[in-house]
Amino acid sequence: MDNIHDLGGMHGFGPVPIESEGYTFKHEWQRRAFGLTQSLAGNTPFCADMHRHKIEQLSAVDYLQMDYFEKWTVATSELMKDAGLVDANELATGVKSFAVDLTKHPAVRPDDLVNAMKVGGDYTFPAESRVAAFQVNDTVRVLSNCPSGHTRVPRYVRGKIGTVCNVEDVFQFADAVAKGEGPAPQHCYLVLFKATDLWGEDAEAPDDVIYLDLAEAYLERA
Amino acid sequence: MSDHNHHKDHTHGHTHDPVEDGAALRVRALEELVIAKGLVDPAALDSVVEYYERETGPRNGASVVAKAWVDPEFKAWLLKDGTAAIHSMGFKGYQGEHMRVVENTADVHNVIVCTLCSCYPWPVLGLPPAWYKGPAYRSRVVREPRAVLAEFGLTLSQDMKVQVWDSTAEIRFMVLPRRPENTEGLSEAELADMVTRDGMIGTAVV
Repeated sequence: MDNIHDLGGMHGFGPVPIESEGYTFKHEWQRRAFGLTQSLAGNTPFCADMHRHKIEQLSAVDYLQMDYFEKWTVATSELMKDAGLVDANELATGVKSFAVDLTKHPAVRPDDLVNAMKVGGDYTFPAESRVAAFQVNDTVRVLSNCPSGHTRVPRYVRGKIGTVCNVEDVFQFADAVAKGEGPAPQHCYLVLFKATDLWGEDAEAPDDVIYLDLAEAYLERA
Repeated sequence: MSDHNHHKDHTHGHTHDPVEDGAALRVRALEELVIAKGLVDPAALDSVVEYYERETGPRNGASVVAKAWVDPEFKAWLLKDGTAAIHSMGFKGYQGEHMRVVENTADVHNVIVCTLCSCYPWPVLGLPPAWYKGPAYRSRVVREPRAVLAEFGLTLSQDMKVQVWDSTAEIRFMVLPRRPENTEGLSEAELADMVTRDGMIGTAVV
């Protein structure tokens, strides 16, 4: 979807607020917010693309003003609301007003949660399960449409021409996963774009390049 | 928004602002609610936070880099199949399931970003720094990487090719920095101590 989260190439954000921080979390509430989202992903349940999509639906003002971990908390709360596990009044007050079926949504145990993080997800499918539409050195154009839901095409490459540099594995498709439509497996391609093709005469140097991994559904032969 | 902006919180002893206070309240409300509902085991919350604070972080990535600097076979494997090489060292898990390591050379400098959100290789670098997740870095590093790198104190010559890697799918990127000169006598552990987080993001050289 077209919203402020799609920041690549925008002007006006000023210098990078560099801070050589050595901390993982600056505030205790950020620590709690991170832990809450990880603890609730398994039993709500939701996946990263669903969580990202909730953040993408924030108004631009909220997106830019809220702390990163507050956005995580809003997204997690919204996903729990969608799942019928909490309601708006409970979220506003922090006070429970109805019980949920914990046999269907059991709290994850400490060891299970840490082990799940250590193992990670599985987003791939057997390479032979699909025929790749594009090969290395193919010239491709990124489709110019933008779906209103979650998508992983930044607008700065939309309609742009690039070169396939690697045929990656067969992956789940973020747009479908975020909608709860299942994995819609397809190849992902490492695509090279010349900085001059993206930014024209504003490119800083003629040989600079930008690489993106893009799902097959985002591309057409150019 | 007023004179509360910079008052001291005597309970926690740090300065805070209304935006942050609102966030803290929101988080506390959710935590109390989901614990009351039995949806979260507080010990699970503590354990996952502790795992990311103590067991992941750039030291992991630094040991990968140092190994690549001393072991040409490992380096070749790392660049060919970053996932397998990194997993062989035990650094695996969420946000590190699929890895591509990109090598800085005398002619090429790499830098990583996620313009759409905050994708970052957690098992090798830990959770991302605040600036990596913010709008200035994400908006600018694809359009003017050299200007952004200069803000980090890294000025590249026009002869150096810059490659920006935008993390738009499930594959996470990590930069293999160049080994500093005059380090032939150093051990792998000593080399690892020289490798910085920003060196593996590409906003610094080692």
